[in-house]
Amino acid sequence: MILNSVEVMFGGQAGDGSLTTGDLIAGVFKRMGLEVYTYKDFPSRIRGGHTNYVIRASEHQNYGMADAVDALVAFDLEAVEAHIEEMRPGGFVVFDNTSETIPDDLRRDDVTWYEIPLAKIAKEQLGLELVRNTISLGVLGALIGMDPEIIRNDVRGVYQRKGEKVVDLNMRAIEAGESYVLEHFADRPSGYGLVAGDDGDRLIMMGNDAIAYGALVAGCRFMAGYPITPATDVLEWMSKQLPKFGGVVVQAEDELAAITMTLGAAFAGVRAMTATSGPGQALMTEAIGLAGVLEIPVVVIECARTGPSTGMPTKTEQSNLNHLIYSGHGEIPRVVLAPGTVHESFEIAVTAFNLAEKYQVPVFILTEQALCQSKATLAPLDVEAVEIDRGKLIDSGEVVFGEYKRFAFTEDGVSPRVIPGVPGGMHLAPGSEHNDAGVITENPRNRARMMEKRMGKLVSMRDDLPNAVLHGIADADIAIVGYGANRGPIAEAVQRLAAGGVLTRFLQLRTLWPFPEDDIRAFVRGAQHVFVVENNYTGQLMQLIRAVVGPLDALHGVRKYDGRPFRPIEIIDAVLETAGLTLRRAQGDIAQGDAAAEVV
Amino acid sequence: MTATLTPKDFATATPSWWCPGCGDFGVLSALKQAMAELGKQPKDVAFVSGIGCSGKISGYLHSYAFHGVHGRALPVASAIKLANRDLTVIAAGGDGDGYAIGAGHFVHAVRRNIDMTYIVMDNQTYGLTKGQSSPTSATGYVASVSPDGNPDTPLNGLALALAAGATFVARGFSAQPKQMVAMIKAAVEHRGFSIVEVMSPCVTYNKINTYAWFKENVEDVTAREDYAPNDRAAAFAALMREGDIPLGIIYKEDRPTFEDRTGLPETPIARLDLNAARERFTAMQAAYR
Repeated sequence: MILNSVEVMFGGQAGDGSLTTGDLIAGVFKRMGLEVYTYKDFPSRIRGGHTNYVIRASEHQNYGMADAVDALVAFDLEAVEAHIEEMRPGGFVVFDNTSETIPDDLRRDDVTWYEIPLAKIAKEQLGLELVRNTISLGVLGALIGMDPEIIRNDVRGVYQRKGEKVVDLNMRAIEAGESYVLEHFADRPSGYGLVAGDDGDRLIMMGNDAIAYGALVAGCRFMAGYPITPATDVLEWMSKQLPKFGGVVVQAEDELAAITMTLGAAFAGVRAMTATSGPGQALMTEAIGLAGVLEIPVVVIECARTGPSTGMPTKTEQSNLNHLIYSGHGEIPRVVLAPGTVHESFEIAVTAFNLAEKYQVPVFILTEQALCQSKATLAPLDVEAVEIDRGKLIDSGEVVFGEYKRFAFTEDGVSPRVIPGVPGGMHLAPGSEHNDAGVITENPRNRARMMEKRMGKLVSMRDDLPNAVLHGIADADIAIVGYGANRGPIAEAVQRLAAGGVLTRFLQLRTLWPFPEDDIRAFVRGAQHVFVVENNYTGQLMQLIRAVVGPLDALHGVRKYDGRPFRPIEIIDAVLETAGLTLRRAQGDIAQGDAAAEVV
Repeated sequence: MTATLTPKDFATATPSWWCPGCGDFGVLSALKQAMAELGKQPKDVAFVSGIGCSGKISGYLHSYAFHGVHGRALPVASAIKLANRDLTVIAAGGDGDGYAIGAGHFVHAVRRNIDMTYIVMDNQTYGLTKGQSSPTSATGYVASVSPDGNPDTPLNGLALALAAGATFVARGFSAQPKQMVAMIKAAVEHRGFSIVEVMSPCVTYNKINTYAWFKENVEDVTAREDYAPNDRAAAFAALMREGDIPLGIIYKEDRPTFEDRTGLPETPIARLDLNAARERFTAMQAAYR
């Protein structure tokens, strides 16, 4: 029996309310004192098409999905067809059998089936089919021991603004679900039992919201963006909040405008950003080069999805790393940062703005659908600790015209930056090569010096870049490298492998460019095996590592490119198989989803 | 108080790259004259240009000048204005920059009606790439990439702007500096997005639309006694009719700007104290508990 750890999947058709219910469940788990991670797997359409919402709750935060689904709430047969293979033996399915039945070939006998006419109960007892979602909440609560009072409070909270009638209807729906379980099935039959603890002072937040919030706190007051999944959340969040703080959001006509508007605002002295995904990022490429040569600080959020072209717009991937690092004609200094948790999404957003202004370069925040659209519980974010460092900005006083040189050569490559309105600072900022004063020139000596000045910033900034995080056992023989949303499943794999007697070390990269060569070199030293875990086909991160450490037989790629995030078992299996190892204790003995408790 | 400015105060030390006789010289001197007459200070002027011969103009106006990528002068300039509404923001570029590669931005900048000015220097050819057809080249115009004549219909940029909801539409001719100065001044003073298209002959590649040709083919429609620049239908008719190219302030209307409609504060965003709202930031976390 698994205690205090469960992965619930809600599956149905897009638009039938499973996302709202999924959010509700996540909130209830949080208030029960559990750590929560959610993953949305929805189709790129508004109504219809299979959608599912995974909510994982456990005593320790895992930042990712478990190996398997414990509880599947299926509103239709399609949800069962799509996910029955992902069920853990011993798990259970709640199935709405109002109009469909489970065919024998899908009826796995190692899971328990709770077939309940949810829609029928909703319609006949409550008069509204839509409330079957809330009924299912009552059913699930009764089956796994979710706190009934918390469920009621949260449901009330969600529906309060729709009036007492709606609240009452949903209360009766919860009741109907609970009663059905009590009347038809033995007391708590599912084998799962959750224990309510203290919620404490915690938040539950989506990665995109944390980035947007971090940007606001960091002083971003201008955003231009073009709606694109999965980055639109950032644009929406900023649209609501920026005007309250004196800022502005522009919905641009395309990504060419979004990025050039961001440059314009930054040129005028405002901390500015845009957010996009692969296709939009492609359109922004030319202007990113302009930001590089004009030394304009801009922050670009890339919420990665599967490519190429339209790809799978609502699915996750890490195939844009090369694009962020190499895209564009010519060479510019740029920074690519990757948060691995919701908390880091906030911190890295702050860091991105400071780096951008301090070094006057474009900074990318690379996140993925599996992180940026996922919610997780976390400690409150420390706003007081945020420091805004605007670097060599001259936004008041005056400079002497003729003496002041916008692109002056300096030790660290960063020139004092004056903004329009400051007396004496008038200059031309040209995308053409220019001298220190901004005058266009093709002089070869100047050109070489300017290239060295700009590119040299990549060296000057080294100490300010977010460090890589070492997880696991520092001198273990087996090394794993990864970043972004894979931080969760890799770290969990590391803990579970350790619990099974296989020691590993994991380097979570948070700065992807300039590439942390020294960290990589030090990290792989002495390792018998180096696994590079990433969500793409060609092994983009592995190629970067190979360029640093040279060809190594011990370098192995662990790759997934089906649009879905890793589950920890996939990483565990890859490591064990390649290294020719087995766990000292059988996999089944290690509590899934609660690995930390097992580490001895 | 600063002493009265002259056009010389807006000159840069950079020598011009334009061909002798280029229409763009006329635009530049009218612009300097207009800035001086309006009493603008170079430090308060943000001047954004596109790419092409005309795009070089930003290097020749003493100001905070931005010479960006091809076709994107308008979004850059729009954002500069929103970032610091105390600035006088002017964008300038050619017919290729504004009506071909930047056409997508043109209509939307018009729709937004941000308080700024856009000058389109129309020479009906691509000069800097040595003479290809442009969006405003006449059908049949023979050029290096259309040796059998330009197969496309020329774009009527001002009519397009009017259709997109423009609030200030004017056209000048670079050989008529007085009118151009008045027009640019009115455009800058207009509260909203103003477009000034200038017929600016290319003396090197366009041997058809020459100074002499324009002199024969332009007409100041606003000089007509009954012309009402606040009449949208009349403006359309003037812009769409066959025959002489209409000059003058063809249309003008007061309409709330983007700044009005979004309630943009009077304090320029660029002047905000970024550390001012710490306690409000912390309070926002309540929504996530």
